[in-house]
Amino acid sequence: MSTRTPDRRTDATSSRREHTRSGPSRWSHCRKRGVDGSMRTDEHERTDEHERTEGRHSSFTTPESSGPVSRCAASSDWGSQVEDNEMRRDLHRDLQRYRRRILAADGPHRERKASSGSSGSCDSKEEESLETDEGVLLRRQKQISYGKNTLAYDRYIREVPKHLRQPGIHPKTPNKFRKYSRRSWDQQIKLWRVKLHAWDPPTDNGTQEDNEEQLDLGDIMDIELDFPTLAEPGPQAAHAGVMEDPEGTGTPVKVQRMDAAAASDVV
Amino acid sequence: MENSTDEYRFQSFDPDTQMLLKTALKDPSSVDLEKVSNIIVDQSLKDQVFSKEAGRICYTIVQAEAKQSDGNVFRRNLLNRLQREFKDREDMRARSIHEWVCYVTFICNIFDYLKVNNMPMVALVHPVYDCMMRLAQPDALKNEEEVDCLVLQLHRIGEQLEKANSQRMDQLFFLLRDGFLLQEGLTSMTRLLLLEILEFRAGGWMLSSTANKYYYSEISD
Repeated sequence: MSTRTPDRRTDATSSRREHTRSGPSRWSHCRKRGVDGSMRTDEHERTDEHERTEGRHSSFTTPESSGPVSRCAASSDWGSQVEDNEMRRDLHRDLQRYRRRILAADGPHRERKASSGSSGSCDSKEEESLETDEGVLLRRQKQISYGKNTLAYDRYIREVPKHLRQPGIHPKTPNKFRKYSRRSWDQQIKLWRVKLHAWDPPTDNGTQEDNEEQLDLGDIMDIELDFPTLAEPGPQAAHAGVMEDPEGTGTPVKVQRMDAAAASDVV
Repeated sequence: MENSTDEYRFQSFDPDTQMLLKTALKDPSSVDLEKVSNIIVDQSLKDQVFSKEAGRICYTIVQAEAKQSDGNVFRRNLLNRLQREFKDREDMRARSIHEWVCYVTFICNIFDYLKVNNMPMVALVHPVYDCMMRLAQPDALKNEEEVDCLVLQLHRIGEQLEKANSQRMDQLFFLLRDGFLLQEGLTSMTRLLLLEILEFRAGGWMLSSTANKYYYSEISD
C-alpha cells in the first residue's frame, strides 16, 4: 500500500513533465514575445529553437520573464532589478498623472454641486479610494502587462479605437488605481483576459476565431440540429459531414441533401 | 558628411560583425540581441579603448529597442552577462589583470551611459563600488594598471557614485588614504595618482586651479 503512493506520484509528475515537453501549448502562438522577451516574428521557428536550447516549450513561462525562477533569485538578477525599478518609477509617474486627472474632473462637479445641491459626486471620493500601496500597484501593473503583451491585445487595439469602444462588448483594462479587494481585482483581470481572447490570431488547424461575432445562439442552434441526422443510416450520412449554413435559414443543408437522395432512392 | 556609426570604432570587428552591430543600432528587433550584447561585452573585455566607447553604443541600442518595440531584451542580456562576469571577477583578475581592468572600465562606462529616467541604475551601484574597493586593496595598488583604472573611473563617475551612496565612497577613500600613507613599495606614479584623486574629491570632484597647475601644467608644457 505504502509503496504504491510514491509510484503514482512519480508517474503523475513524469506524465506532467512529458505533457509539458510535448510541444507548444494552445496559446503559445498568441504571445507577442518568446521566453527570452524577443518579438516573435516566425513563431514556429522560435518555439522549436527554444525547445532545443532551453528544454521547455516557450509558453511554459509568462511572456517577459527569462524562465521559472524563485522570487529571491529573480530579484538578484540585474536585468530584473533594473526593470522593476523602472516599473516602480513609471507607476509613481502614472499615479501623479491619475491624481491630476481626478482633481481636474472634480472642478466642474463641485460647481454643479453647489448650485443644484445634488448629492456627492463620485469623483471627489475617487481621491480617497486611491490605491497607493506600491506592492499592490506593482503586482497589478504586472498582471496588466501580461495581458497587454499578447497578440490578441495588439490586434484589438488596432481594430477598435478607444472612441469606438462599447462598454460591455469591448474589453476594458481594469483601473489599477481604484480600491478593490484582491479577489475582485483578480476576477476583473480574468474576465478582461477572457474577453481579449476573442481577438486571438487564427490557429493552424484552420479554425478561425471570428472577431465580429462571438459564439452567438444561431450557431449553437445549427449544430444541435445536425446531430439527429447522424443517426440515420446510409453512406450519404457519412459523406455529408457538418455543412455550413451560409444563409442562416436554420435548416441544415445536410438534411435537405439526404432528403433529396432518399427521394431519388424511392423513385 | 560623416557617417555617425564611424564614431563607434567598429573597425576592430570583421565586416559581418560590423554589419550586425550597425543594424542593431538602427533596427534592433531584426537582430539577435543576445548575440549582439555578447559580442560587445567580449570585445570590451579585450580592448580597453573599446570598453570606454561601448557604453555609448549600448545606450543607443537600448533606446532604439525601446522606441521600436518597447522591448528590453538587449539591456537585460547585457546586464545579466555583466552580472555573470562580476561573480567571477576574482578568477578573471587572477587570469588577466588586463581583462579585469577592461571589465571595470566597461561596467563604469555602462553605469555612466545607461541611465533609467536620467538616474543611474541602482542595481549597478554596489557592484561598481565592489570593483572600486577591490582596486583599492594593497595587492592591486601595487599595479599601476589597476591604480590608473581606479582614478580614471573615479574622475568620470565619482560624483554620481557618491550621490548614490556616500557612505561607501567614504569607506573607499579611507582605503585610498591608508594606501597612500602606509603602503610600502608603491611607485611614485602611483602615489601621485592617489594624491591627485584625494585632492580631487576633497575639492568637490574638481581640482582647484593651483592643484590643477601642480598636477597638469607639466604635461601642457
